Amino acid sequence: MRVLLVEDEPTLRAQLRAGLADAGYAVDDVGNGGDAHHLGANEPFDAVVLDLGLPVLDGLSVLKRWREAGRTMPVLILTARDSWHEKVAGIDAGADDYLAKPFHMEELLARVRALIRRAQGLASPLLQCGAIALDTRSGRVTLDGQPVNLTSHEFRLLAYLMHRPGSVVSRTELTEHLYAQDFDRDSNTIEVFIGRLRRKLPPQTIETVRGMGYRLAAAP
Amino acid sequence: MKPGSGPRWTRSLRFRLLAATLVALLLAIALAGGLLAGLFRDHVMRQFGDTLAARLDQVTALLEFDTTGQPRIDTTTLTEPRWSRPYSGLYWQVDGGTGAAQRGVLRSRSLWDATLDLPADAVAGGAVHVHEGLGPDAARLMLVERTVKRDDAAATPWRLIVAADLGEAEAAVARFNSVLLASLAGLLALLCAAAVAQVAVGLAPLRALQRALAAVHEGRADRLAGRFPDEVQPLIDDFNHVLDRNAEVVARARTQAGNLAHAVKTPLAVMSQAAATARLRAEGAAELASLVEEQVGVAHRHVEWHLARSRAAAAQGVPGARVALAPAVAGLLHTMARVHDGRGLAFVCDPIDPGMAFAGEAQDLNEILGNVLDNACKWASREVRVAASAVTADTGSRLRIVIDDDGPGIDAERRGAVMARGARLDESVPGSGLGLAIVQDLASLYGGNLALESAPTGGLRVVLELPAA
Repeated sequence: MRVLLVEDEPTLRAQLRAGLADAGYAVDDVGNGGDAHHLGANEPFDAVVLDLGLPVLDGLSVLKRWREAGRTMPVLILTARDSWHEKVAGIDAGADDYLAKPFHMEELLARVRALIRRAQGLASPLLQCGAIALDTRSGRVTLDGQPVNLTSHEFRLLAYLMHRPGSVVSRTELTEHLYAQDFDRDSNTIEVFIGRLRRKLPPQTIETVRGMGYRLAAAP
Repeated sequence: MKPGSGPRWTRSLRFRLLAATLVALLLAIALAGGLLAGLFRDHVMRQFGDTLAARLDQVTALLEFDTTGQPRIDTTTLTEPRWSRPYSGLYWQVDGGTGAAQRGVLRSRSLWDATLDLPADAVAGGAVHVHEGLGPDAARLMLVERTVKRDDAAATPWRLIVAADLGEAEAAVARFNSVLLASLAGLLALLCAAAVAQVAVGLAPLRALQRALAAVHEGRADRLAGRFPDEVQPLIDDFNHVLDRNAEVVARARTQAGNLAHAVKTPLAVMSQAAATARLRAEGAAELASLVEEQVGVAHRHVEWHLARSRAAAAQGVPGARVALAPAVAGLLHTMARVHDGRGLAFVCDPIDPGMAFAGEAQDLNEILGNVLDNACKWASREVRVAASAVTADTGSRLRIVIDDDGPGIDAERRGAVMARGARLDESVPGSGLGLAIVQDLASLYGGNLALESAPTGGLRVVLELPAA
C-alpha cells in the first residue's frame, strides 16, 4: 500500500513517515502543496495524509484540484485547525476523514487502514480469503487459524492482493503501489516475493493470469 | 469631484461654509443696491420731468400772437427769479419753424446771449417731448418742448421749449447713491460677521470632538467625553460603543492569554521537573514517557477549551449575524457520516424549515451542533436523530434542536457531571471530554440553553435552545 504524506513540519513529517513505514506502507512524503498536488495528480496512491497549512499551495486547494481532476484516492486531513466549521469545509472539499493535531499514531494508522479498506468496499478490518485471514489492525496473517510468518515485503504484497480478492492485479500496479517513488523498482523482485508467498500459502492461492498479472483466488 | 481630492483649503468645512455665504451675500447686496439706485434715479428724474412739464404749461399759457402772427410772451407774470437771472439753470425759448434763423425768436432773460439747441423733431400738435442736451456753460439740461400754432391751419408752428439744469437732480442721485453704498457696505460687514459667528458656533462641536478624539488618541481618555448636539451625538455614542467594546475585547484577550499561558505553563513545569528527575535515574524512561503523554493531554485540553471560549467571545455582539440552520445541519451530518464511517450509523433528520436561522456566527453554530452530534455519534449504536422546531419564549423566538442517540444514555443524576469542564464519563471513547461543556458555554454566551434528557430509544437526548434570527 502506497501512502502520500503531506506535512510541512520536518520533525512531524519524519515521525509520521516512520510510523507509516513501520505499519508496512510505502511512503512518499512532501513538504509543500505544489509538490503534493503534482505527485497526487500523477502517481497512484492508496491513501493520502494531508496537512492543511502548507507552503506554496494550501491543503484544501490541493484537495479540490485533485477532486476536480477526477483523483479519487481516499484523503485524511491532518491539521491543528480542528473546529467543526473547518472539518465541514474539509469534508466538503472532498476529504474522506479528518484528524486533529495533536493525535495518537495508533489512531492515525487505524483511520488510514479504514480509509484504504473502505475505498475497496470492505467493511471489516479482518480480511478473509478462503482459509487465509489477514487482520489489518494487528498485521497478523493466519491460515486455518494458525499464524503464518511473513516478512514485511511478503505481507505488503499479500495485503494488497487481499484488498482486491478475485481481481487481476498487474505487476506494474504492484510495483507502483508497493514501493515509494524513490525506491529502485525492479519488477523481478515482485516475482521473487510472489514465489516466496506461494510457498507459504496453499497451492493455487495466487494464480498467474498470463500476460496480465496475478489474482488471489477467492476460494481455493 | 471626489471629496478630499481638491486643494487643501476646499476641504475645510469652515472655508466652504464661509465662501458660500460670502458669495450669496455679495450677490444679494449687489442686486439690492442696483435695484434701489435705479428706482431712486427713476423717481427723481420723473419728478424733475413733471416739474418741467408744469413750467412748460405755465409758459404756454402766457403765449400770445400779435396781428402779424408773431408770438409774444408777457414775462412780467413769470415771477420765479431764476427765469431772469442769467445762466440760472432755468430757461425758456420759442423757436419758429425748423431753420437756424428762426431759433430763439423769444427766450428767457436767463439764457442771456445763448440759445437752446434742439434736434429737428417731427412733433404732433400739442404733445410734450423730453430731450437731454447741453446748455450754456456746457451744463447738462433736461428740455421739454411742445409745438403750438394759431388756430388757422395755414399759420406757422412754433416750438416752445423749457429747460432746467440736471445738475441738482444728479447731485441728489449721487448723494443718495453714496449713502446707499455706505449702508450696504455696513450691512455686508455685519452679515459677514454674523456668518463667521454662525460657522464658528456651528462647528464648535466638531472642534470639541477633535479635542476629545485627540485625548483618546493620546491615552488621556478612554472614550469621547462631553455632550454633543443631537445631530452628532448618535455618531459619538456609536464610536464610544466601539471603543468600549474594543477595550472589553482587549481586556478579555489579555485574560484569555493569561489563562492560557497559566494552563500551559503548569504541564510544562511538571514535565521539566520530571525531566530533571529522569536525568538522575536512567531507568525512569517509561515513566517519563507516560507522564509527558499525560501532561501533553492536559495542555491540549486547556488549549482546546480556551480556543473555543475565545472563538465564542469574539463572535459576541456582532450585530446582524444570521446563519440558516438547514444547510449547517446537512453539512455537519455529511461530515459526521465521513468521520464516523465504518460504524454503520444511520442519520435521520426531520425536514428543517428553510426559513429557520440561528442569530449568530456560522462558526459557533457549527461548533455547538458539531460537538453535540459528534458526541451522539460516539455513543450511538445504530442511529442518530436530529429534529428542529421554532418556539416562542419570553426572550423572543428561539430554535429548539433535539439530537437523540440510541446509545447507553446517561443517568439523570450523572448528567450534571458531564457538563463539567473536562469531564469524561468513559475514558475508552476518544475525545477531550470538553464537548458538552463547550456547547453549554457557547449556548449560554448566546443566551441559549442546553439540556440533557432521555431519548425514547433509551439513549441520550440533547435539547438545544438557541436564539432564532
